[in-house]
Amino acid sequence: MSVETEATGHVDDTQDDVQVAPPSGRRRLFGILTLVLTPILLVMAMLYAPEDLAQGPAQRIFYIHVPSAWIGFLAFFVVFVSSIAFLATGKRKYDDTAAASAEVGVIFTTGVMITGPLWGRPVWGVYWTWDPRLTSFLMLWLIYLSYIVLRGYVPDPARRARFSAVLGIVGFFDVPIVYLSVRWWRSEHPLQLVFQRGGLPAEMLVTLLVGVATFTFMYLYLLSLRTRTGRLRERSDEEVAQ
Amino acid sequence: MSWASSAVIIAGKDLRLEMRTRDVIASVGLFVLLVVVTASFAFPTSGEGREGVAAGVLWMAFLFAALLGMGRSMAIEKEDGCLEGLMLSPAARESIFLGKLLANLGFTWAVEVVILPVFVVLLQLAPGSGLVLLALCALLGTLGLVTVGTLFAAMAVHTRGREAILPLLVMPVSVPVMIAAVKTSEAALTGAWSSGATSWLLLMVGYDALFLLVALATFPHVMEE
Amino acid sequence: MDLPSEIGIRIKGLTKAFGRQLALANVDLEVPAGSYVAVMGANGAGKTTLLKVIAGLAVPTKGSVTIAGIEMRKAGPRLRALVGFVSHETMLYSDLTARENLAFHARLFGLDRPEEAVARAAERLAVGHVLDRAVRNLSRGTRQRVALARALLHDPAVILLDEPYTGLDEAAAASLSELLDELATPQRIIMVTLHDVARALSGPERLVALSSGRVQLDRPIHEQTEDIAETYLALLRSEARR
Repeated sequence: MSVETEATGHVDDTQDDVQVAPPSGRRRLFGILTLVLTPILLVMAMLYAPEDLAQGPAQRIFYIHVPSAWIGFLAFFVVFVSSIAFLATGKRKYDDTAAASAEVGVIFTTGVMITGPLWGRPVWGVYWTWDPRLTSFLMLWLIYLSYIVLRGYVPDPARRARFSAVLGIVGFFDVPIVYLSVRWWRSEHPLQLVFQRGGLPAEMLVTLLVGVATFTFMYLYLLSLRTRTGRLRERSDEEVAQ
Repeated sequence: MSWASSAVIIAGKDLRLEMRTRDVIASVGLFVLLVVVTASFAFPTSGEGREGVAAGVLWMAFLFAALLGMGRSMAIEKEDGCLEGLMLSPAARESIFLGKLLANLGFTWAVEVVILPVFVVLLQLAPGSGLVLLALCALLGTLGLVTVGTLFAAMAVHTRGREAILPLLVMPVSVPVMIAAVKTSEAALTGAWSSGATSWLLLMVGYDALFLLVALATFPHVMEE
Repeated sequence: MDLPSEIGIRIKGLTKAFGRQLALANVDLEVPAGSYVAVMGANGAGKTTLLKVIAGLAVPTKGSVTIAGIEMRKAGPRLRALVGFVSHETMLYSDLTARENLAFHARLFGLDRPEEAVARAAERLAVGHVLDRAVRNLSRGTRQRVALARALLHDPAVILLDEPYTGLDEAAAASLSELLDELATPQRIIMVTLHDVARALSGPERLVALSSGRVQLDRPIHEQTEDIAETYLALLRSEARR
């Protein structure tokens, strides 16, 4: 929705603002939930959840690692959907959301890439294996990076938005295919062991769910914040340019 | 005019241009040759799994060839606004993509045809009948790389770094087809084709088809202003 | 290819924007067959964008462009066959000969007898003697004539020229002006963007001036040429002050 202002010849899309970035009320809610849940998660992960017999204390990273991975995928899914929405409608707000989600998503994905080896080394003796999940995560991380680098290389905002949208769409189709191809290629993933023992004990499951909830609210808060700052910065850049 | 005829006209122009200047094939061909020669120094001359390493080296070389060729071919269109010239014609945007795709395929395959025998000789391989299968892998794998690469090259030439950003865009997305290409090439080189290798071949076909569709759908958005 | 009966350009509510940046703002313009229009305005006023949208190179954010009753959005390829566009870039492959460049475009435009079209266009632009030289080896002026020949190959009904007089010496400018006068028949539409007021008043019969993406002036040119010139210059001055 946009309204034209005679005097300045500008399109006023503050209405779009309201629809894109949730009003600060919702953002504050996400922020508060994150602040509340994070210490709860830490306590649960460290103390409440039972220690894994086979893996020892290092296994507790699982409660950070797995939720981060979920969010890594969720964030890219948001990039994918926003990219399609942008190409279909041309509305700038979808580009803002995609860009913000990519930047937040890359943080979580980097978290996965760091916690993975931290978990892997003490438990299985290796920092890295070329198994399907890890490899598709590596590819996801690289696609995120190429998305962000691409954005840095295109000065014209309209073009930047279109190109990013195309990359967001192509990249998203790639990730499941990478997963399948590497799965064919190698066939073991050590982490499967965690689930093979007839499901998780209840305490572990609950802690994991708390982890997922915490990280989801963290993502939503950061997304909302990053979308808003991104738009403000672009708007001020444009005003300076004029 | 149909998509196909416009595409052929555009690809024909690229071919004519290349014959005139030998721009792409010379620089790309030489570079890739150097890659293969250098790699062959580090290559084990005997032992298990040589074919696997060889397949990897081969596809690295092919990937470089494709990236360099596509980058250069699109950079030529950017000069003097030739890309706009194509867009002003009645040719559909999709046929511009197909035309460039055909041209890029042609160049890359031409380089591959030259590199392959050099490769087999230098690395002391004996593929025998596997050569036919190897050619098939090269065909399908290159198609995958060039499909994605042509789309991204069209984007890359409009960025600050020009073609320099192309490898960064192509490589993550091309991982599946690269793995499939290496696996099937390895099978072809050892002469031990299995049902697993056939699955990989089918994956390449699927990848090529999927990304061809995605590229055709998104290319007009890349082209427009 | 069936030609539409009445060539007329109708532009309604044309807006080209991205978020708040406006290249064109709600432009309404009717350009009937037989028009020879000078499009003027300061740099960045939207002249090039307007021509690019009519040529089908740029897609409108809002509004429509209709040529001969057919919307650009719906039948791009058909309409592009009616339009010839000349920009400051030659759109010629410098390593091919002039003939090869022209023949390529002739075939791309689906002309029945490409060689004849090339010969005709070359004769009209007096470049017949350099047809078999590589474009790289031609002088700048000759290159521009070949570029013009490229645009006229398919005998377009709508001819758009973006600042064609820039960098031309007096003789070349005079011959271009003559050529355009020749081409300005009741069946064609010619739109030229210009900076030089004198040039605009000797040839074109309508002046459209843009400012900040809007039409600020739209006057027929026959009498009162001084009046128009002054109004236009006043417009430029008031813009410079802003």
